Amino acid sequence: MNEELILQHGLTLDEFKIIKNYLNRDLTIEELGIFSAMWNEHCCYKTSKKWLKKLPTENEIVIQGPGENAGIIDIQDNDGIAFKIESHNHPSYIEPFNGSATGVGGILRDIFTMGARPIATLDSIRFGLIESEKTKYLLNGVVHGIGHYGNCIGIPNIGGECEFESTYDFNNLVNAMAVGHVQKDKIFYSKPKSIGGLIVYIGSKTGKDGIHGASMASDVFSEDDEDDKRPSVQVGDPFMEKLLMEGCLELMSSGLIESMQDMGAAGITSSSVEMASKGNVGVFINLDKVPLRQPLSAYEILLSESQERMLAVIDEKNNLKVKEILQKWQIDYEIIGEITNNKRVVFESNNKKVVDLPVDIIVDDAPEYDREFYMPRKRKGKDFDFSNIKLEDIINTLLSNLNYLDKSWVFNQYDSTVMGDTVKEPGQSSGIVKIHGTQKVIGATTDCNPLYIRINPYEGMKYTVAESYRNLIACNINPLAITNNLNFASPLDPNIMGELVLSIDGLKTAAVKFNTPIVSGNVSLYNQTNEIPIKPTPVIGMVGFNQDLKKINSNKFCNIGNKILVLGKQLEKKFSPYLLQDQNLASNINEYNDLEELDLDYEKKIANCVLEMSDLKYIMSCNDISRGGVFLSLLKMQYKDMGFKVNIPDPINLFCEYSAGYVIEIRNEDLDNVTSFLSKNAVGHFEIGEIIKENIVINSKKFDYFDIINNYHSNFENIIN
Amino acid sequence: MSFKSAVITFPGSNCDRDALCYLQDLTKGFVYNIWHEEASLPQVDLVILPGGFSFGDYLRSGAMASKSKIINDVIKHANNDRYLLGICNGFQILTEIGLLEGALIQNKNLKFLGKNCFIKKKFKNNFNSSIKEDQVLQIPVAHNEGNFYCDNETLKSLNNNEQIAFEYCKGEFSNSEENINGSIEAIAGITNKKKNILGMMPHPERAYSDFHQSQDGKLIIESLIS
Repeated sequence: MNEELILQHGLTLDEFKIIKNYLNRDLTIEELGIFSAMWNEHCCYKTSKKWLKKLPTENEIVIQGPGENAGIIDIQDNDGIAFKIESHNHPSYIEPFNGSATGVGGILRDIFTMGARPIATLDSIRFGLIESEKTKYLLNGVVHGIGHYGNCIGIPNIGGECEFESTYDFNNLVNAMAVGHVQKDKIFYSKPKSIGGLIVYIGSKTGKDGIHGASMASDVFSEDDEDDKRPSVQVGDPFMEKLLMEGCLELMSSGLIESMQDMGAAGITSSSVEMASKGNVGVFINLDKVPLRQPLSAYEILLSESQERMLAVIDEKNNLKVKEILQKWQIDYEIIGEITNNKRVVFESNNKKVVDLPVDIIVDDAPEYDREFYMPRKRKGKDFDFSNIKLEDIINTLLSNLNYLDKSWVFNQYDSTVMGDTVKEPGQSSGIVKIHGTQKVIGATTDCNPLYIRINPYEGMKYTVAESYRNLIACNINPLAITNNLNFASPLDPNIMGELVLSIDGLKTAAVKFNTPIVSGNVSLYNQTNEIPIKPTPVIGMVGFNQDLKKINSNKFCNIGNKILVLGKQLEKKFSPYLLQDQNLASNINEYNDLEELDLDYEKKIANCVLEMSDLKYIMSCNDISRGGVFLSLLKMQYKDMGFKVNIPDPINLFCEYSAGYVIEIRNEDLDNVTSFLSKNAVGHFEIGEIIKENIVINSKKFDYFDIINNYHSNFENIIN
Repeated sequence: MSFKSAVITFPGSNCDRDALCYLQDLTKGFVYNIWHEEASLPQVDLVILPGGFSFGDYLRSGAMASKSKIINDVIKHANNDRYLLGICNGFQILTEIGLLEGALIQNKNLKFLGKNCFIKKKFKNNFNSSIKEDQVLQIPVAHNEGNFYCDNETLKSLNNNEQIAFEYCKGEFSNSEENINGSIEAIAGITNKKKNILGMMPHPERAYSDFHQSQDGKLIIESLIS
């Protein structure tokens, strides 16, 4: 086998040598394709595995941790919550509409593969600077794609984040998260139960879309000379996915299936190998039986990433019943193989074995690297001159920066209320949905602070986890578990590798402290173009729970005359990275002061106080404090004809970032009780002002209320058009 | 006598469960869920064609569903002066069948619109009789093709026959537009001439429970069973 071909398949020559020594024979081209698919970063985590192993993945409520299609946690009674986040960064840059749409499709399949009905989606999307026409095109396409797929299949989008920053100019990020509800006694795993079980192919026919290195594959191996070289971005069909979802859920609830695995990255290869590995069994598949959209070679069938396809194992006696249900939903179905006892993966095509490999070498012997990494340099302390910064100017810069503005333009393109169980829609502290037919609610949020993490990956990651945590706490949702999406540039650069290693360490520290284990996740590396690496973007998706929907806090002002209190510890101006960045005080990354260490015990203590005050009904409304400080938090809480009047010695502090920061609204008559409760618990707090009608007043200075409110709500759309 | 109703499910319907819960919770009567391939409808007082993307809406919204097997009986049901309500995709299906006039074209901003909208009733009928004059209802919309269009003659007759049930309007404290999707005369819902068939783009089944942002969607069922 020539070197060029090996390298084209993304394997190093050393990796190839390991395979060849193990097998002691030449590989078929199909087998090379399998190793290419299974030994890449996306499938085997060869760079990150060593570090991911350090993460906490278990506690008393974890039913399923990482390693399955999605993680599952226990929310009492017979209810479980399955959730996961996954990236579709590269496809969304090449073809934003289909790239992001299939990202949503893929993550939804991960959820219903486990027997869970999806009940919510979220997304975390990042783009370059909006001044570029390319960014506008990507933003429009990505939002359209996410919306199209989710709206059509009918799963509410309940939140997420959208950021613009120059390092994403040529590497936009699209991370999609899905949350599903499963009955604990009806969870399905990818592990097959019995030898001799039939492997059935369910869903769309297989085509050429998504074959890695499609051009290479088809030039060399296609029997079809008139090949049209379809792009390697998959094309989604949400209608098909809706049918597939209903069909699969019906099969599972009827007890007709033993195990199931979705065909995601690396299609039939990855799904069948996973099944064999999980069950410690073998698989035999006849590729001639695979339903095809067009003539394909065995190699192409193995590597196709056509969407909306599932692999299931059934007992032969259920065959007819399975067929009947799938026919009702108009879904293609074919028996393509069986579970064997020889622990080998065998694919046959035209009566010839094209692949015959031991499962062990594909999965257990997959490479794992301990890449070199550098610790970040120590930062010198630096003072910044705020004397020329005026209050009006800060407000104006905030209201002309996409990252601070109301992003209704994005989420108004998403259906947030389908399924009828949405309690909180996007744009609030966290999204919340009710578990159908109960009073229980699930809250979910996605967050990342890339600037913090570039300054100090370990502390920055703690802040990111804490921000997710606060988003849930502010709603009186008890945080339970995490899914993560680690987006980084090339790990071959020891500086980037250092960011990866340290941020995982920060994630671990925070997750242990908050008792929020990591139950699922995804890694996306090599996000860099023309030597420009993206900022480290390990996105956190956090899920939490409250038994009683009536206990949920509003994130919007309730009544004129109520008092406004600020809780937590403000970061000094010179230690507030986003303030420095967005007021153009720090011009390059080396200028920032190191992050202040985040005290997780303090964070937890304040959170517990907020939860307790919420249950006692002291809190009328609450919001966390993040980028944009107290001022932006207040602006987000503004509702109907309400405004606010605040007093603060140095008004620039209104824009500083916080640790354990919350703004709470309380009734006048509760003020004494609340302040003594907070003092007793040693929680930093001060009364900053009150809710007033149709005015924004800072230290007796009146601002144009309608101007600020209108700009906040409509400038996003004005800027992007 | 209890109020009986039915919800039709097409492949790609995604508000069928929502409509079932809406009817179960508010009518307290029996609610059938009917699969589109079934040949006949049981005798009921109200049929809902729910929202969603029937058959993927790949041809034209509602076009494929309008040819489903069950539609013959849906037409018979309506011809017997019983109530028929099409919500969102259901409204689109009703115009495709020809039970309602006009058509629903793409929103004027060419984007999917998923948000709260505000509507008020224009002409009185049995679907909106519990709603006061000038009462503003807050009900979510979620559609890509909700821009109601018809020719001038049809518009005139819709007005003359008092067939316009709901129109979009401005909500208090809301900076949203008066006519969110560009519909002619801001039409949000129309009836047939006999006023036993209503098609509307907003989703009342997402605005009736105590945890929903509004409970104004209740008023439609209350109007029908009062």
